[in-house]
Amino acid sequence: MIWVALLLAHSAAETGSAARGEQVFAQSCSVGYCHGKAGAASRGPRLRGRTFARSYLERVIRDGIPNSAMPGWKGRLTDQDIAAVIDYVASLATVSNDPPPTTAGSAPAGPAPAPEFRGTAEAERGFRLFFDATRETRCGVCHVSGGRGIAIGPDLGNLAGKPEGEIAAVLRSPRARHVVTVRLRGGETFPGLRVSKQGSLVKFYDLTTPPPVLRTVSQAEVLSVSDDAAWRHDAYLAPYTPSEIDDLAAYLRARRP
Amino acid sequence: MRPVLGVLACALACGAQDAAHENWPAYGGGPSAWRYSALSQVNRSNIRRLAPAWVFQTGDVLGGLQSTPIVVDGVMYVSTAKNRVFAIDAATGRELWHYFYPVPREFGLIYGPWNRGVAVADGRVFMGTIDNHVVALDQKTGRELWLVNVEDMQQCGCNITAAPLVAGGKVIVGVTGGDSAHRGYLTAFDVKTGRKAWRFWTIPGPGEPGHETWAGDSWKSGGGSTWMTGSYDPELNLVYWGVGNAAADFYGDARRGRNLYTDSIVALDAATGKLKWYYQEVPHDVWDFDAAYECVLVDLPVNGRMRKLLVNVNKGGYAFVVDRTNGEFVSAWPVAENITWIQGVDQKGELVGRSEPVPGQTRLLCPSIGGGRSWNHAAFSPRTGWFYSTGIEWCQEVTAQKEEPKEGQNFFGGVFQLRPPLKGKAGGHLAAYDPVTGRKFWSYESKYPLLASALATAGDLLFSGDPEGNFFALDAKTGEKLWSFQTGSGHRGSPVAYSAGGRQFVATPSGWGSAVAGLLSQLWPETEDFRPGSAIFAFTLPEEGR
Repeated sequence: MIWVALLLAHSAAETGSAARGEQVFAQSCSVGYCHGKAGAASRGPRLRGRTFARSYLERVIRDGIPNSAMPGWKGRLTDQDIAAVIDYVASLATVSNDPPPTTAGSAPAGPAPAPEFRGTAEAERGFRLFFDATRETRCGVCHVSGGRGIAIGPDLGNLAGKPEGEIAAVLRSPRARHVVTVRLRGGETFPGLRVSKQGSLVKFYDLTTPPPVLRTVSQAEVLSVSDDAAWRHDAYLAPYTPSEIDDLAAYLRARRP
Repeated sequence: MRPVLGVLACALACGAQDAAHENWPAYGGGPSAWRYSALSQVNRSNIRRLAPAWVFQTGDVLGGLQSTPIVVDGVMYVSTAKNRVFAIDAATGRELWHYFYPVPREFGLIYGPWNRGVAVADGRVFMGTIDNHVVALDQKTGRELWLVNVEDMQQCGCNITAAPLVAGGKVIVGVTGGDSAHRGYLTAFDVKTGRKAWRFWTIPGPGEPGHETWAGDSWKSGGGSTWMTGSYDPELNLVYWGVGNAAADFYGDARRGRNLYTDSIVALDAATGKLKWYYQEVPHDVWDFDAAYECVLVDLPVNGRMRKLLVNVNKGGYAFVVDRTNGEFVSAWPVAENITWIQGVDQKGELVGRSEPVPGQTRLLCPSIGGGRSWNHAAFSPRTGWFYSTGIEWCQEVTAQKEEPKEGQNFFGGVFQLRPPLKGKAGGHLAAYDPVTGRKFWSYESKYPLLASALATAGDLLFSGDPEGNFFALDAKTGEKLWSFQTGSGHRGSPVAYSAGGRQFVATPSGWGSAVAGLLSQLWPETEDFRPGSAIFAFTLPEEGR
């Protein structure tokens, strides 16, 4: 009797979970060109009426499918919501209950969830400034922080823990280490970052105008590469007010690599 | 308004200002996007002898082949869904070089994998990538010259699937992201160095005119993507681009206002990217009815006066005709029968009788999100003076729901389920229209929506392909089917014509795939099993047939 009651309770819980899963599915999986309403298929494959192993669904939902439009939802949906979506899919399709996988898969695919950052009000403002999409020359265009951004300039993780005044001074500093002046035959000159050399080809980031351009030139085209202070990092800080620079410094101080 | 169009007058006055000849040098054939070739070696009298000359397999089948091949001086340049670029001898199909872009192992965007073509200019081949870069290759060797990351894909949830447009020494690229919480833009790069020349935001920022058409912070995530390729008028030095839907697609309560410049045609100074004029087709879009498709530039008489016009068919199924010198509305006419989201367009270009999705309710609206027409392009023939466009008969149930934007993440504000149309059967057609009045001269009916572009030629032929793999030619004057060839996989790309070694070729991509191709299975379940592919088929007349 207890056993039956337990079964019923479990079944009721699953029904409740499937109802939640239906909501999550509608907002995350049906949308646009993906799996269609109630898994009827769209750009993404049909789910309705098919047969899946629970472990497969769990892995694919959590980790996505590399090199495809299926993103990983780990970090974007809670574990409960992922389970609810699977329960909902089980109401549309046949889902066999083999044991769930014990190991987590690869990193999620597609647009990453906005990195969580909690800190002082000042540091949180700095975090938002770092990735502020309304600014074309935001820090994230050239720097990675907390796993997000474009890795062209130096990793700023090494600033963590340093005094804010020191960090602000680095940000305001006109000189940037590593930046060279590349002169090409034919007269073209640009501030650059060395990237690689493969055979007779050399790659530089051209920093003339953001976003930086990865240029590939033959070694023979390069007239000279010299350390040079003509390029000024502080020019990119000019649009920020002094208090915004303090906010960025507070963020970089608090953000662990 | 009843514009009077002299078709004969056009044949004389339109000349062949934007016809492609030996080459197919640009995405739309020329900068006016006519998709018309002045070659006539293949014509109505000998089309029945047209035969395959060669087939080129790219090997990259997932996502289909949606490309427009570019042909310059006997070399064809083709890009595939995962950003492979091939240079091919256009007479023999022999590979000259290839470039495989290092596609990230993790992708996971809803916009792809697919790519609609390259641009070739100034000794370089340009391509946008599925991880939002623009790359320039050496036209002779395929070696990478420059590569620039337009915006971090992980943050913006956007990428590039359209072919770039080259105008005035700049390579101009749009961006997807219109169904994500993103703010759209166009970016121009210097062809030689890859350095950014200008950016035009499709949603005005604080202090700019038009910003007041967005409530609160909705402008930051309002869509307005530029996911197709624009046109260029060198004489006016204006670049024309269609702008996509406002986001969230189906839920507009958080962005009250006209939402400029979504669902608009924007005319930009090619040198600076400054806005010259705009024309908004769908104010405050709550249907995902982008105005992002091609802008066809034609000079035609309207009420007895020659005018420089722009024709843009939007996703809602209406062709809008505007004066391309100033953006003045000229006319609007439908390309589909089943249109219920509006009752019509009045003489000033205002939408009449809007039927909007209601949050929390399910409503039947036509056409479906796939469009009264999909992006596959129309053609214009200066010989007939007609505009050849596909149209689709289908509807959908839309359930709008409130949704909060999360930067770069999907932002639809609702779900939909395709439904058969109210009038007639679900299906597609390719028809000949007067570009100004929309008068229909003939219509070729298709069981499935036609998702390949049209190609018009001076042989008075109209080429296109269907989802079942047939590449076919119609009589451009009557719509009669004159020729067909089974290529083995459905058509979602754009055919072109060119000449190599004195012979005219007609080439088409074959390869089923894409977002709308996937949607078809909601109404036609069998299409789920249609075979993908990725090949170029080139046809020519046998020696004795010429």
